[in-house]
Amino acid sequence: MTATLTPAPSAAATQRRKGPWLTQRRRRQLVGLALVSPALLVVLVFFLIPLGMTFWMSLHDWPLLGEHSWVGLDNYRQAVQDQTWIDSVIFTLKYTVFITPLLFVAALALAVLINRPGRPARVFQTIFFLPVVIGFAAAAYLWLYLAQPGLGPLTDLAVHLGLGTRESNWFATSTSALVTVVLMVVWKMTGMQMILLLSGLQSIPVELTEAARIDGAGPWQSFRHVTLPLLRPTLALVLVFSVAGSLLAFDQFFIMTSGGPSNTTITAVYQIYRTSFINFDLGYGAALSALLMVVLAAVSALQMLLLRKTDHS
Amino acid sequence: MAAAAAAAIALVGLAGCGGGDDNSSSASDEPVGEATLWARDSQKGFINLLADSYNKSHEGKIKVSVVPAASFVQKFGTAAASGSGPDIASIDLVYLPYFASKGVLDDLTPVLDELEWKDDLSQAHKDLAVYEGKTYALPFTAEASVTFYNKGLFEKAGLDPSAPPTTYDEMLEAARAIKKLGEGHYGFVMAGQCGGCNIFEFAPHVWASGGEVLSEDGRTASFDSPEVTAALEFYRTMWEEGLMAPSSKTDNGSTQGGTFQSGKVGMVNLGAFFVQTLAADEKIDFGVTPIVGQNGGTASFAGGDEIAVTAGAKNKAVAYDFVKWSTGDEAQTLLAENSIVPVRTDLVETVYGPDDERYKVLGESMSTGRTPYSVVENEIINDNNGPWATMINKAVFGGGDIAAAQAEAQKAAQAIIDAG
Repeated sequence: MTATLTPAPSAAATQRRKGPWLTQRRRRQLVGLALVSPALLVVLVFFLIPLGMTFWMSLHDWPLLGEHSWVGLDNYRQAVQDQTWIDSVIFTLKYTVFITPLLFVAALALAVLINRPGRPARVFQTIFFLPVVIGFAAAAYLWLYLAQPGLGPLTDLAVHLGLGTRESNWFATSTSALVTVVLMVVWKMTGMQMILLLSGLQSIPVELTEAARIDGAGPWQSFRHVTLPLLRPTLALVLVFSVAGSLLAFDQFFIMTSGGPSNTTITAVYQIYRTSFINFDLGYGAALSALLMVVLAAVSALQMLLLRKTDHS
Repeated sequence: MAAAAAAAIALVGLAGCGGGDDNSSSASDEPVGEATLWARDSQKGFINLLADSYNKSHEGKIKVSVVPAASFVQKFGTAAASGSGPDIASIDLVYLPYFASKGVLDDLTPVLDELEWKDDLSQAHKDLAVYEGKTYALPFTAEASVTFYNKGLFEKAGLDPSAPPTTYDEMLEAARAIKKLGEGHYGFVMAGQCGGCNIFEFAPHVWASGGEVLSEDGRTASFDSPEVTAALEFYRTMWEEGLMAPSSKTDNGSTQGGTFQSGKVGMVNLGAFFVQTLAADEKIDFGVTPIVGQNGGTASFAGGDEIAVTAGAKNKAVAYDFVKWSTGDEAQTLLAENSIVPVRTDLVETVYGPDDERYKVLGESMSTGRTPYSVVENEIINDNNGPWATMINKAVFGGGDIAAAQAEAQKAAQAIIDAG
C-alpha cells in the first residue's frame, strides 16, 4: 500500500502535463495522498519497517554481535516450552487482573467527585493529576526510596499506624512486592484515567440526568442507568489503554523489584529485555515480542468491538 | 614528579610515532585530528579532566561522550555492530572477553608490548583483555573490593576497632555484638538481588577460602563447590539470626551503601569508590580491611575499566596514542588524585592516597585481586535474575536447601557457557 505512495508526486506531475485527463476528482485524490504522505512515511519508517524487521529477526538466531543464521520457527517453538517465559506471561496477566479494576474504580470515583463546576473542583483535579506528569521511571525510584526498609518515610508511617515494624521489607515477598508496585502505579496513573473519564462524563447532557431525577431515580439509579451506559465509549477506551499498559509493564518492576524476590516479579517485557539485552539473543527476543504483539492486537480488536456496539445502541 | 610526568609524555609521544609503522595504515599516521571516546556516566568525575589534560599537551584531540552505565554494554554493542561506535571505549573489564570474542575491538598486542611499564600493569586487567592469545585492551582504572567497618559501632559493641575480623566466625561474632546494641542495629548489609555486586562482594569470600566460582578459562562453572556452600551458609546464618539489615534481601545494589551510611550497620563489602563517599559524608569513622575467607586468608575482586580501540575506529593514530598515554604516569596520577585506584602497581603506593592507611589496603587488594574470565559473564553473573544472583538470593534468604539452589544454578550457568 505504501509502495504506491512514494511515486505520488511524480505521478502527479505526469498527470498534470496530460491536462484534460486530470479530472477534478482525481486531482483531489492526489492532493489528499500528497498531504497524508508525510504521516504515512513516519508510520512506514518508525512502525512498519521495524515491525517487519522484528518478524524477520525472530526467524533467525541473531546475537547482538556476530553472524546470524536462519532457524525458521525454532524461536517460537522454544518460546512455548520456555518455563521462564510462561512464568513471566502468567505474572503479567496476574498483575493486569489485579491492577485494572483498582485503577478504574479509583479513577471513576475521582472523576465523579470532581465533575462539578467551580474553582475547588479544578484545584482537586490538578492535585489528582499531578503524579501523571512525573516520568514513570522517576516515580518508581521515588517509591523505591519511600518504601525502603529502615530508610523510607513509609516505614515510619507504617510503624506509627501499627502496620509493621522497622524490620519489615515490603519487597521481600512476591505478594507484598506486587502490592507496593501496584500502589505506586495507582498513584501514578489514576489521574490520567480520571481526566479521560471526566471528559466522558462532561459530554453527557445534564438534561438526561435531570429527566431521570424528575422520573424519580435516586443518585445511584441515575448513575447506574443513565451515566454508565452513556459513558461506554470512554469506558472502553480507558479500559483498553489500561489493559494494554499493564500488559506492557516493565519499568516499575525493573526499578522497584529487579524481578525479585527470587525472580517472582518478572513481566513479559522484562523477560524480553533480559533475552535481548542481557543474553544478547535478539532473535529470540524478537520472537517473544511478536508473541506479545499478538496479545496486544487481540486487546485492540476487543476495543473496536466494544466501541462498535455502543454506536448501535 | 613534574619532570617524571614530562618525561613520560615525551616517551609516549615517541612510542606513538615509532609504533605506528607496523600497524594499519591509519595507525601509522601522525596522531592528529579528533578521536571519540565513550565512557560511562559513573566516570564523569574524571574522564573529562583526563581528556582535557591530553588535549592540552597533544596535537590530537579526544572528544568524550558519556553513556548511562546501565545501558553501556547494549549501546556499545549495538553501535559497534552497526559501525557507528566510537574510536575508543572505556569498558568494564568483565565484559572484555565478550567484546574481544566478537571481533569489535582492535588488536592492541603490539601497543601493550611497547609500554615500558607493561609488567607493572594490573595482572587481572591484562588477563581479562586476552582472547585467543591476543590483547584487545589496556588496563585503565582499577577498583578493588574490601570490607568497610564502622569503627564507632565496633567500639560501642566492645570490639577492638583496630583488629577487624579475619574469619567467618569472627565476622559472625562481631555482627552479633553489633546487633545487640539495640533496635535498628545490624552487623552486615549486602545487595542480595544484584549479580554484579555479588561477584565483587561475595565471591572474594570463596576465593579467600581457596575455592573457585569459575575455572580459569571460563569454560566450567563451579557454583556447587564446597567453598561456595560454606560462604552461602555463613551469609544465611547472618540472615537467619537477624544480623543482616532487612533491605539486604531485595537490594539491587542501590541502597546498601546508604544503609551503611545510616551509621547503624557494622560491616559492608564495597569498593574504593565508597571511600570517597564516606570521606565526603564525614559522618562515620570507618575502617577498611580485606575480605576474609572461612578460616583466614583474604581476597579481592579486581575490577575497574580497560581502555580499548574499536575495530572500526576512524582515527586509529590518535586512539593508539591516547590509550598508551592513559596508562602513563601523568594520566594515572591524575586518576589517583580523583580517588580512582591506578592500574600501575609501581605507582599505587606513591600516588594513591599515600597518607591514608585505608587507601593502602585498597591498593594492595587491587594488586592481588582476581577477576573471573568468561565470554558470557553478563548472562551468568551480572544478570540480576541470572544463575549467580538467583543462587545467592535463594540460598541466603530463601530458607530452602542450599545445595539444591547451588545445583540448579550450576546447571543453568553451565548450560549458558556450553551454548556459548
